[in-house]
Amino acid sequence: MKLYDYILSPSCYKVRLMAALTGVTLDIRPVDFHPGAEHKGAELLALNPAGSIPIFVDGDLILTESSAILVYLAAKAAPEWLAVASAEEAARVQQWLSFSGRLTASLGGARLTEMLLRPGDIGALQAQGVLALRELEAGLVEQSLRGMRFLAANRLTVADIACFPYVALAPDGGVSLDPYPAIRLWSRALRGLDHFIEMPGIHRLHELKPEPHIEAGEA
Amino acid sequence: MRLSHGFVRGEALSCIYHGWSYAQAGNCLRIPAHPGLVPPETIRVATHVVEETDGVIWVAAGQPEGGPPRLDGLIPLRSLTAHADVAAIEAAAGVRASAEGVVDLAQSPGIIRLLLSAQTEGKTLIHVLIKGTADPTAGIAASRAAESLRRKAENLHTKGIAP
Amino acid sequence: MTMQAMIDEWYPVGLASELDQTGRATALMGEPIEVVCDENGDAKVTGSNGRVLPVRVRYGHVWSSLGAPKKELFPIPEADQPGRRFVDVGVVRVRCSPLRAIENFLDIAHFPFVHTDILGAEPHTEVQNYKVEIREDVDEVWATQVKFYQPQAAKSASGGITTEYMYRVPAPTCSVLYKTCPPRPSEWDVITLFVQPLAEDLCDVWPWMALFDDTTSLTDLIHFQQTIFLQDRSILENQIPRLLPLDPGMEIPTRADLTSVAYRRWLKRHNYTYGAQLVAQ
Ligand SMILES: N[C@H](CCC(=O)N[C@@H](CS)C(=O)NCC(=O)O)C(=O)O
Ligand SMILES: [Fe+2]
Repeated sequence: MKLYDYILSPSCYKVRLMAALTGVTLDIRPVDFHPGAEHKGAELLALNPAGSIPIFVDGDLILTESSAILVYLAAKAAPEWLAVASAEEAARVQQWLSFSGRLTASLGGARLTEMLLRPGDIGALQAQGVLALRELEAGLVEQSLRGMRFLAANRLTVADIACFPYVALAPDGGVSLDPYPAIRLWSRALRGLDHFIEMPGIHRLHELKPEPHIEAGEA
Repeated sequence: MRLSHGFVRGEALSCIYHGWSYAQAGNCLRIPAHPGLVPPETIRVATHVVEETDGVIWVAAGQPEGGPPRLDGLIPLRSLTAHADVAAIEAAAGVRASAEGVVDLAQSPGIIRLLLSAQTEGKTLIHVLIKGTADPTAGIAASRAAESLRRKAENLHTKGIAP
Repeated sequence: MTMQAMIDEWYPVGLASELDQTGRATALMGEPIEVVCDENGDAKVTGSNGRVLPVRVRYGHVWSSLGAPKKELFPIPEADQPGRRFVDVGVVRVRCSPLRAIENFLDIAHFPFVHTDILGAEPHTEVQNYKVEIREDVDEVWATQVKFYQPQAAKSASGGITTEYMYRVPAPTCSVLYKTCPPRPSEWDVITLFVQPLAEDLCDVWPWMALFDDTTSLTDLIHFQQTIFLQDRSILENQIPRLLPLDPGMEIPTRADLTSVAYRRWLKRHNYTYGAQLVAQ
């Protein structure tokens, strides 16, 4: 299973994170997205004419939508992450998978504009990002009232992984997460998982490890 | 660096940047770059009086004379930020806030109570509390009512209609 | 803030490899500028009123100045050394003071907390004494014998090593760091941070490297450095106050911060105050 990957891409990080959490080993092929724009070059366009990453290849199968890749990894390695036991949960998973595309367009767009100098209407992108965050916050509040800790169920599903990266990296695009306590709690729960991996912009939760006892001169 | 990005181990709050940790009294406990050093008393962060009652965390600006208001029988539901000032929220709710910033939602008096706290840049922090049991259906309805109120207040605020 | 002293300095304004005839609209210290490739294939930089600005193409980047530089662009002798690989890491915009971006680059004490398990890790947090000086002959800030334990010091490192660093500040918004080179212990890897000040609290950062590493792919080298810098970015955007305080009193330095102390003193001495605040606010 080969992943055409960029270390700063939240969409690629979804796949790396899902693989890490479910114990899947990926064959990582780094893509020089910035500054090289390798994803717009002949080799990668042949795999994905849309010119985006991630690109995921497993034998004959080529996937270029991160949600589809998450579903594939889950179906192969951790079917319980699909939450298809009830109609409601299955539908909620789909609801948030589709919604995640809006996060990419809004918060992801703001991040590319603010950070990597992509042309874009930063005010509009940030405003759309705020609307999306409010929707997610309300969704998480309602889930918690239903006794559910995660977006689609009382367990992690692919929906959480699809939404987490662009949300956690919203500040990279100049959108603060301070107004969203439910999102921050949810984000913390994810960051505290066994086998969780970070990407640049998401810091280690140092509180998960006890304070080390060190003597001067020992370093 | 903002300490809100930091981490809490035991009773100490540490900064994410260099790991300096602070005790509840604000004094610096540890500077990881110099493990052998006892941080001087002069290194400290500002502290504020904090109290938790009825599921709400209160922070005092300065030295308060008494404790925070009691919210008997109310259950905190959620907090949300409106890009609208208190006046716009009052206009949207159709009621004036009390001196403490309390608004009872007109459509269901006594059931949903809002605590309003003015922020910078014309924003308002709204804490939503509900009366009685935290029945999921009532909670979800109250959460949605608060969202609707925010939408209305923000519309008034942008249009400059609020008094 | 005064712009005068810093106006005569050289700043990076683009990647040499990305020069084209369409041009790149950017800014220098609040003034819109344009960077293009002219008919002869040379880099050309123009200011807001169409005036032609000084230009150099060096270290993978195009350099310019709003004023009249009194000195040539600072030397990096390693840039001409055979066997090195030169890596354009690409631009990253940061909402911070250009001086804060440099100061952060000079700091090692944050490694265990911000670059966890790469450039540092608890419990190896101690910063041992090192040497700092302002070299009057070249008018540069230098820190030497800086040592730190690093879990993964470079893409080419396998496992933890104690790395030695030397830091150099040859210009107010540029720093060059020399670092233990895992595949070639007799040489130093060169990692630079070239900062383009757009405004006092906004900058475009252009990291660049000259490394001895024949095995790692170019993309991996870029990704390693981008990883490090993007970990710093969220810190830089949350520093308070936004401008770098040059007067003592606002921020408390320890022995670990001697490079920063010297850098601030050197900035103040030269009136390099674009992006700085003088009086505690
Ligand atoms: N195909 C979608 C979108 C992924 C996406 O937007 N990827 C970004 C990188 S994070 C990209 O490749 N953008 C192309 C570009 O900006 O040139 C997905 O997999 O979720
Ligand atoms: Fe750093």
